[in-house]
Amino acid sequence: MTDLTASRIQSADAVPARSRFPIHIAVFLAPALAIYTLFSIYPLIDTIRLSLYAGDETGARSFVGLENFRTLLSDPNWSGQFWNAFRNNLIFFLIHMVVQNGIGLGLAMLLSLPRLTGGSVYRTLIFLPTMLSVVIIGFIWQLILNPLWGIAPSLLKAVGLGSFFGPWLGQESTALLTVSLISVWQFVGIPMMLIYAALLNIPDDLLDAATVDGAGPFSVFWFVRLPLILPTLGVVSILTFVANFNAFDLIYAIKGALAGPNFSTDILGTFFYRTFFGFQLQVGSPTMGAAVATAMLIIILVGVLIYLFGVQRRLQRHTF
Amino acid sequence: MADVSLHNVAKSFGATEILRDIDLSVADGEFVVFVGPSGCGKSTLLRIIAGLETVSGGEIRIDSRRVNELPPADRKIAMVFQSYALYPHMNVYKNMAFGLKFAKTNKAEVDRRVRQAAEILKLTPLLDRKPRELSGGQRQRVAIGRAIVRNPSVFLFDEPLSNLDAALRVNTRLEIAKLHRDLGATMIYVTHDQVEAMTLASKIVVMNHGRIEQVGAPLELYRHPGNLFVAGFIGSPRMNFIKGQVLRLEGGSATLGFAGTEAVVTVRAGALAPGDPVTVGIRPEHMEQGGADAAPLRGTIDAIEQLGESSYVYMRLASGDDVIVRAPGETDATPGGAYTAHVPARALHVFDASGVSVLAGRG
Amino acid sequence: MGPTIRPGRIAVHVALILYTILALGPILLILVNAFKTRRAIFADPLGLPNGQTFTTIGFDRVFANADFGLYFFNSLTVTLVSLVLIVLIGAMAAWALTEYKFTGNTLIALYLAVGIMVPIRLGSVSILRMMVELNLVNTLTALILVYVAQGLPLAILILGEFIQQIPKDLRDAARCDGVSEYRIFASIILPLISPAIATVAVFTMVPVWNDLWFPLILAPGDGKQTITLGVQQFIGQYVTDWNAVLASLTLAIAPVLVLYLLFSRYLVRGLTAGAVK
Repeated sequence: MTDLTASRIQSADAVPARSRFPIHIAVFLAPALAIYTLFSIYPLIDTIRLSLYAGDETGARSFVGLENFRTLLSDPNWSGQFWNAFRNNLIFFLIHMVVQNGIGLGLAMLLSLPRLTGGSVYRTLIFLPTMLSVVIIGFIWQLILNPLWGIAPSLLKAVGLGSFFGPWLGQESTALLTVSLISVWQFVGIPMMLIYAALLNIPDDLLDAATVDGAGPFSVFWFVRLPLILPTLGVVSILTFVANFNAFDLIYAIKGALAGPNFSTDILGTFFYRTFFGFQLQVGSPTMGAAVATAMLIIILVGVLIYLFGVQRRLQRHTF
Repeated sequence: MADVSLHNVAKSFGATEILRDIDLSVADGEFVVFVGPSGCGKSTLLRIIAGLETVSGGEIRIDSRRVNELPPADRKIAMVFQSYALYPHMNVYKNMAFGLKFAKTNKAEVDRRVRQAAEILKLTPLLDRKPRELSGGQRQRVAIGRAIVRNPSVFLFDEPLSNLDAALRVNTRLEIAKLHRDLGATMIYVTHDQVEAMTLASKIVVMNHGRIEQVGAPLELYRHPGNLFVAGFIGSPRMNFIKGQVLRLEGGSATLGFAGTEAVVTVRAGALAPGDPVTVGIRPEHMEQGGADAAPLRGTIDAIEQLGESSYVYMRLASGDDVIVRAPGETDATPGGAYTAHVPARALHVFDASGVSVLAGRG
Repeated sequence: MGPTIRPGRIAVHVALILYTILALGPILLILVNAFKTRRAIFADPLGLPNGQTFTTIGFDRVFANADFGLYFFNSLTVTLVSLVLIVLIGAMAAWALTEYKFTGNTLIALYLAVGIMVPIRLGSVSILRMMVELNLVNTLTALILVYVAQGLPLAILILGEFIQQIPKDLRDAARCDGVSEYRIFASIILPLISPAIATVAVFTMVPVWNDLWFPLILAPGDGKQTITLGVQQFIGQYVTDWNAVLASLTLAIAPVLVLYLLFSRYLVRGLTAGAVK
């Protein structure tokens, strides 16, 4: 899904060009372009535009240039929250990169072992949580980790870790890590599947050749399989990045819009929601909300551009 | 250099038997070709020798040393894969040097060996290229080069030519034959193409259904196939088979009746009894037009293929059997016309009801 | 390899089984406890319901206090209508972009690619404003429009790859017979892309069914809640009623679970097929 431009350019020479723009092409393209433009691109552009305005109590709007962004980044009422959310979001992302993609890679390696019995059963079952709603997953874990129910502490006690338990979701020091791990738990299936598919794509002959060359299982992984799935790891990373910096549902479901305790689980998505709709005493502001959304857009675009021009170009895609 | 021997080798996946009772010895410096239809177990046998598959029974020896428990890298073998199996992320040089990395060879020695192999295979200008920048023939040579640098006792080839086009295939075939002469190494080569087997092998192993049907030099298999399967597999176009019967038996001389004609052949004592059904085989290139002591086969012509230097006449005999006859390039035969081919008794192959050759001094 | 079981293989299975238990355990725990009395939920959370502890009181309360049937119907409507529109409209665009060479082809492809990487969520401020102006707030139409816009770019990419694999001779043969471009699309291309629908469905249906954000913003009331939002609202309200909470979660999980287990072969295949690109 990343080498889109290349495949399009190749495919563009399907039929020789005709002198007049044929009407049927317009007919085929019109509905998709109309809906996509109207409900996706236009709102994004309009949001950016709106971020340059300020509204007053009467609803009248006036152009203020980059004032909203100055407020967001330097006004003590805003910048603390923004940077807190950004920092938390970064931690949220890093935990996913290391834990989610690490476990995903490990599972994919195990599942791609030759002649593994029951492989498809494992894949299907491990992928199951990914199919469920983030909201449902959030509630499930909230119940399990609830000290009232006591199932988590008693399970921990059974494996000798009883003293380790605490109200993880309620403590400022552990809430973000806990929420991140819940999300990791749910989405491990995605990197697992993508990496598994990439590993399957490596011909058996190549691995046999490496074995004949004297490479042990670790060397086969390190010198042959890993280099060959690097492009997929790149795709997995950028998908994780976009998904994480756009996350909202889980934290809203578990911790509400306030992302407690004391904003320790606040990420950009929940910060955007509060800014836009308001909470408790603060009134919601569409223009400040638009500014937050634009900031998120810029963060995501920077990430995507770094990936496209910094990472993807260096990762040679291999055809076998 | 080394010899290879297999004793009672068997292989099964669960309940499916892939190979059984494989006994074979390959002498030092021999070029042995495993040939057979797809699914006959020849590739599995090669992978067993390489150590990529374990055996369910039996013993494999390389250089008189039992290697059943040894990993591939310690068997002093090198393998060339059908798909070449070049590492796509490494250039030609690194592809060839990769195996030496694990053999703890020092850098200067690695470099010397890679450059020497590249010289032999005319790959020197391509050492910095990635596999995707090479043509099919060049990739093939890199795959062979990767085997050469390991300096193996035994080379294993798994259908190495099947991904090349026809012209390149002939070329590479000659190169491999030359390589064998130059290196003098033991080579084991798997193919389903009997022409490759005939042209390359010093010894052919014909396999079918997980068993060895016959082992022998190429011309020996052509002249004296031990059974129906080998007779049908070696030679192109395929040998004609006609159902027949033993009419009379006097000492070692059997008179056979087939397709409305008769022929007398010398058979092994006790192999046949009067009235036994037999299958008579005759190669298209051994049929003659005319000939005093040859049995005539009469029929009508279905089709004629003219190849220039010769023609193949497809005819249907009055008995209902279809046969192919090689005729001179300039033939006046026409489809629909009558045709008579003659079968010299010395060119006949005769097989009993179980498909085993019964000719005296053969099989 | 071979019939002998090697210790390495056992370790692999142990690892996979342990992870599978970790992945399924929490879900099973919810399903099991939804059918137990409050006392049993706390006294023996890991036990299966038996004659004494079995109850459906949680479900009774859910049905008495919330219209889960309606929420489910809403979710189904939104998801299916979105999917049909995405496949149909997406296939038309994918066909145009892969089949015809025209000025601006690459540009349009790039324009659509933006939507794959940039989440439409970030335009929510304007989307809500538009929906207010169009009088579409608290309608399923609003959700469908947004989800179609969100799903189209990736669907066009996937379907385009797929259409390319359809032999060109098929279309050229039809053209020689004088069939119109519209008919070629409708009677040759559309029927042939049905296998790709599984892939498109994985990438579009699942996020739509599970989404909380847009239902929360665009259709939070008037009986237009989707099941995800309905559960979220219900649990917020009845947070201390464990029976009801567990029952509502079970109601949300069960249909997805059944559908997933029924179609997992296609879904997983679709996902890996899409992933290869």
